[in-house]
Amino acid sequence: MKSRFLLATTAALALAAWTTQASAASKWDGADDLPTSPLACGAGEAAAPAAAKPYDGGQPTNPPNKAGKEITIVDVPKLIGIGYFNATSKGMQDAAKELGNVKVTTDGPTEAKIDEQIKFIDNYITRGVDGILFAANDPVAIAPVLKKALSKGVHVVGYDANSTPDAREWFVNQAEFNGIGKSMMDSMAKEIGEDGSFAIVTSTFTTPNQARWIAEMQAYTEKCHPKMKWLETVEAQEDNNLSFNQATTLINKYGDKLKGLFGMTSVATPASAEAVTKAGQCGKVAVVGLATPNAMKPYLKTDCVKSVVLWNPIDLGYAATYAMRAVVDGKLKPGSTSVEAGKLGKLNVVNGSEILLGAPFIYTKENIDKFDF
Amino acid sequence: MSLGVETRAFRVSPWLKRHETLLALILLIALVGLGAFNDRFLTIDNLLDQGRFISEIGLIALPMTFIIITGGIDLSVGAIVGLCAIMLGYSWKNFGFPLPLAIAFALAVGALAGFVNGLVITRVKVPPLIMTIATLALYRGLAEGISQARSVRGYPEWFYFLGQGSVFGVPTQLLVLIVLIVIAGIALDRTTFGRTLYAIGANETAARFSALPVDRVKLIVYTLSGLASGLAAWVLVSRVTTTRMDMGAGYELDVIAAVVLGGASIFGGSGTIWGTVIGLVMIQLLKNGLALTGVKGDATIVVIGVALILSVLIASSLERRRD
Amino acid sequence: MSATTIASPGYARRAAFRRLVGQEALLAVAIIGLAIVVGLINPRFLATRNLSDLLLGNAYIAIAAIGMSMVIISGNIDISVGALIGVLATISGSLAVAGAPIVIAWVVPILVGVAVMAAQGAIVAYLRIPSIVVTLGMLSILKGGLISVTGGKWITDLPQDFHLADLSLFGVPMPVIIMVLATVLAALWMRNSPSGRAIYATGGNPEAARLCGVNPQRTVLMVFALHGLFAGIASLVYATQLRVIQSTTPQGLELTIITAAVVGGVSILGGVGTVVGSTLAAILIAEITSALVFINVSPYWTDALRGALILATVIADILRRQRRAAQGWKR
Repeated sequence: MKSRFLLATTAALALAAWTTQASAASKWDGADDLPTSPLACGAGEAAAPAAAKPYDGGQPTNPPNKAGKEITIVDVPKLIGIGYFNATSKGMQDAAKELGNVKVTTDGPTEAKIDEQIKFIDNYITRGVDGILFAANDPVAIAPVLKKALSKGVHVVGYDANSTPDAREWFVNQAEFNGIGKSMMDSMAKEIGEDGSFAIVTSTFTTPNQARWIAEMQAYTEKCHPKMKWLETVEAQEDNNLSFNQATTLINKYGDKLKGLFGMTSVATPASAEAVTKAGQCGKVAVVGLATPNAMKPYLKTDCVKSVVLWNPIDLGYAATYAMRAVVDGKLKPGSTSVEAGKLGKLNVVNGSEILLGAPFIYTKENIDKFDF
Repeated sequence: MSLGVETRAFRVSPWLKRHETLLALILLIALVGLGAFNDRFLTIDNLLDQGRFISEIGLIALPMTFIIITGGIDLSVGAIVGLCAIMLGYSWKNFGFPLPLAIAFALAVGALAGFVNGLVITRVKVPPLIMTIATLALYRGLAEGISQARSVRGYPEWFYFLGQGSVFGVPTQLLVLIVLIVIAGIALDRTTFGRTLYAIGANETAARFSALPVDRVKLIVYTLSGLASGLAAWVLVSRVTTTRMDMGAGYELDVIAAVVLGGASIFGGSGTIWGTVIGLVMIQLLKNGLALTGVKGDATIVVIGVALILSVLIASSLERRRD
Repeated sequence: MSATTIASPGYARRAAFRRLVGQEALLAVAIIGLAIVVGLINPRFLATRNLSDLLLGNAYIAIAAIGMSMVIISGNIDISVGALIGVLATISGSLAVAGAPIVIAWVVPILVGVAVMAAQGAIVAYLRIPSIVVTLGMLSILKGGLISVTGGKWITDLPQDFHLADLSLFGVPMPVIIMVLATVLAALWMRNSPSGRAIYATGGNPEAARLCGVNPQRTVLMVFALHGLFAGIASLVYATQLRVIQSTTPQGLELTIITAAVVGGVSILGGVGTVVGSTLAAILIAEITSALVFINVSPYWTDALRGALILATVIADILRRQRRAAQGWKR
């Protein structure tokens, strides 16, 4: 009976490995199907801005005129209680303090669930606020409730993770997807060479931002680093220990073949760095990824990690709050080409109704101590 | 129908009614208290709006009440919601099914998923908790594998009627829920099917010796649970206009919380639809009322936890004193 | 069925022994068999380094599953344990960063774990609220409370000597030592001491247990307190393994732990099962997760396959028990 069991398992596993492999050739796991637009190769600045698109955002129905008056806004991030959204929330408070006539509170679900986030936004519509800032768990699922907010005269501005354009007025874009793709791949190529092999640790395949980034990374690699080899992508939720275990498994599986690991979230990157450290592979396996500075300091200091890609989330929250104020004051309206955002200066409008924060930032050993979040 | 079961049902029911009455009283006090703090809470608009949000959990809570009465449990409901949502979108987009057929297909998959649970539980005698904890992983995994984690969007306008539309001002899905509550209530209270559920939960061996169709009834309730999860998936997809494989994650705990708060014993043999409905409404209105009063999400969760323990504690200690 | 086995202690002990050896043997065969199968496809899987990483990375789940097994054997369940481990890890890390002596940072979370679980056990045992209600409520309280207090701020800059999980003894890493030690001690205690056997009696049939002189209420309280102890130890391994503590509650950890316990042969109806089984099951589940990566299963299908394999293990175990029971009847 035991040998039968073994035989059956072998057969089942072999079959599973074979059938599920068949389709894996073309697309990197974890990438979405949307069209990509890889930037130009090399160190040059971001490609020339695409032809100006007409405004494609939505508009609130008869919002009360609160220009220059005190407003109450609520920030509903994907989830609360993670370093990244703590930082955006801090940026919002900073901006509110500077502006003096904005009151902003952050409130949201404790897990990144689409239906929980919808309930939070709905409650705030009922409670009555002047504006809603959001980072969507799903661009489409969040649209109905945002449209409801607009229909009740509430201003809606997104940041970090977009919704469908007509469900909000503006979206503050931290960095364009193709910009992230380029920064990640160029950093990795610099560390492991043009013919290195690498694997990716992501949160889940359904998280829209991560899926977009992976798709753009693939497009850019095919265009600019054609010899680099993607090995595989693994899921690790937003869980420290799981990310560590998955990264360790990859290191053990590929041995010398694996030259680099990408961390696609602020959880996966430090956990991957820790896995490389524990495996004694510092300098042999490079780690490049999105992360917040504090968690990465130890690994940059030991030279295990050379570069961390991220925009400054504090600036992102700050810019979103300024954008909201400008919308209420009527300074940012369809057709505007830029918006004043306090200490960040003038931010440009792109893609019809998006405000671009800037190019992604690369943290290194030299500059990381300037940041504390 | 044997006499023993009849008397048992009669003996149990007044005891339970008291639990629910107490719970309803606690609910009323909480409502009035929260209403006094906030004038936007006890409005028709807000309450109907909340009806939209309880529908998915409510639909699943009905068969879950049946299952818990039999002494079983179904932890795979959230995963079935995800699987059905994916089957709906996937069969529509990739098989080219017309949307009504895709909906029927998703419901059938839900029923099948529940049926498989029931079949293994009754035939192989795998305990329900173990079976459904395993299928929780399996069904969610199937949803991910089949969909390749892609979401399906862009449904036609009419499809949103169930999740976003309303009939005479009442949200469509709330009407569906109310109809099913009435049916489930009657089925549990007034039919031999309902009495058999209590008999199984009170003493399964005795029920078997009384020649009750124990296995068939169990098979039915697990299938119903899968079907209701499929229905919830339909409502959810229609409400949020997209499908994702992670839909319904964690629903199992929300559903179980509503059912046990409503007085159903996890050991089987007791529980009512009426109690489950109160439990359901209580949790949702408490969350909503606290949010409108300015309590933040993390603190609200704490209050819900305390309320869950305290209300069951108060209700059961008052009952015991009266007994 | 459990009522009849309890009735005659001699028979019960023999039957329980046979049953538990069977379950453990099945799991051991599954663990070794899977390793051989995967090793044939990809020999790197069998590298010492990989096998030891596998144990190291999942020891905390196995340790927590010990306490969970006791709780389930006693006829209860605990859904709050994942959240509790998150809270205890945060307490431990905060103390260490605040400059408390390392020993304090190690001991306090264990004490808090015992206290929280004992409180839940008291409510379950003496106020007679079903454990699923109490622990479901506690899950909410811990989850929301942790974020309210910490705001989700990660704990970084942990002192070097805080990392208990990095230590090793004779080349064996500390988490593995703790896991083995905890399993063996718990197994011996449950099999041989009267209070250990009282857990089985309480779970099998509380009324019969009472008649045999066991105090079911005290037993349940003790079981929850012990569960808190193991959760505390697990949280320590969990917290000291990495350089960062997330200070949020690990999502779905309770289900992983419960799965380990039930796959390990702990009957949810109470009264049956062993902690050796649950530890082996925790290892098997971790092995499956890692194996699916090694044999190049598409990552989109790994969860489905893991679910299917867990289901297969459970069904195989139940069928085996039934066959044995049927043979027993014939004889």
